[in-house]
Amino acid sequence: MGAISLVRAPMAMDSARKLALFEQSVMPHLNAAYNLARWLTRSGPDAEDLVQEASLRAFRAFETFQGEDARAWLLAIVRNTCFTFLKKRGDRPAIEFDEQAHGVADESPDAESVLLNQAALGSLNNCLEALPLEYREAIVLRELEELSYKEISEIARVPIGTVMSRLARARKRLQQCLEGALR
Amino acid sequence: MNCEIARQMTETNDPALAQHQLSCPSCIVGAHARYYEAPPALEQKIRASLWREAAPAVPWRWIAIAASILLAVSAAWNLTLLRSRVAPRQLLAETVLSAHLRSLSGTHLLDVPSTDQHTVKPWFAGKLDFSPPVKEVDGFPLLGGRIEYFEGHSAAALVYGRRAHIINLFVWPSAATPESSQTRNGYQMRTWSANGMTFWAVSDLNQTELADFVSLYRRN
Repeated sequence: MGAISLVRAPMAMDSARKLALFEQSVMPHLNAAYNLARWLTRSGPDAEDLVQEASLRAFRAFETFQGEDARAWLLAIVRNTCFTFLKKRGDRPAIEFDEQAHGVADESPDAESVLLNQAALGSLNNCLEALPLEYREAIVLRELEELSYKEISEIARVPIGTVMSRLARARKRLQQCLEGALR
Repeated sequence: MNCEIARQMTETNDPALAQHQLSCPSCIVGAHARYYEAPPALEQKIRASLWREAAPAVPWRWIAIAASILLAVSAAWNLTLLRSRVAPRQLLAETVLSAHLRSLSGTHLLDVPSTDQHTVKPWFAGKLDFSPPVKEVDGFPLLGGRIEYFEGHSAAALVYGRRAHIINLFVWPSAATPESSQTRNGYQMRTWSANGMTFWAVSDLNQTELADFVSLYRRN
């Protein structure tokens, strides 16, 4: 009579342990995963599907997770899932010129005395959405997730220098866009 | 000025901030850009899909073999029980447990796989002459439902998950029966009745968790 529990228990324990561990280390970062996917795809339903897909991938690859930062690990998977999806859907590569070849002009912006009001906040989100994919990725990871340059470079699979130049360009574009919107 | 100061100034609505904010788009993004939180349903959906992913790790073939042995043994035992005129309630428990084991050993766990009570409940509508209370239970994601036939009547089986464990909740209309719980072949079983229906919850979960499930379900 006890045969079933004997056969089943070890396997159930393994998957149960894996589920519990995953629940404890990865699931708390679902908001970060969704936020990134939402900003990258600019669509709620797409973000939901992709986060679900990415979570499943993460779960399948959970054995390879070395116990480093679970959030960065999950975000890297989410990011790749989103990029694959966007590429398949035929979104054009976002950055139109060689980042290494063109330095960022280090001019200090002459900020006009424009108050940041409700309308400005609306345009802020619009401006952020309008950024090219790779810039948006960098700025969301940096400013909303507060990841380090090194973590971003690992997630986006580019050198740290590229991360920095993307961030600089992203900020410059954001600023121009905001100034344009608020003028 | 660093971003933290900028954030604090934003909260106090300091106009001097405008100057800084335009010169520091990062601060604006960090402080004001929308942070999209995952919809609550997404978390449930992911849990259910993780559970489905984890479940096949169970060696179905061996369970099938073990279950058929168990069925044979239990059939034989039933006969013995019949002969010895064991209380009908015990026979019912045996039948319910068999239904639970059958659902695990074959491919027929779910007729309607859905984590949404508003999908599962209407599904039963055309198939049963009663309406089983399909509820969402916190921490025990609904996985779907199916129809069972035993003891000469049909019953709804609502299937819930908890980590890698399955809970079958059988429901059928009947006269009120006393509440009880028991452990049978290592499986936890609890029965109660409410609103003219009898409920049987069966699982390989531990006793405490199944009791939690039952009280959460009954409270909802």
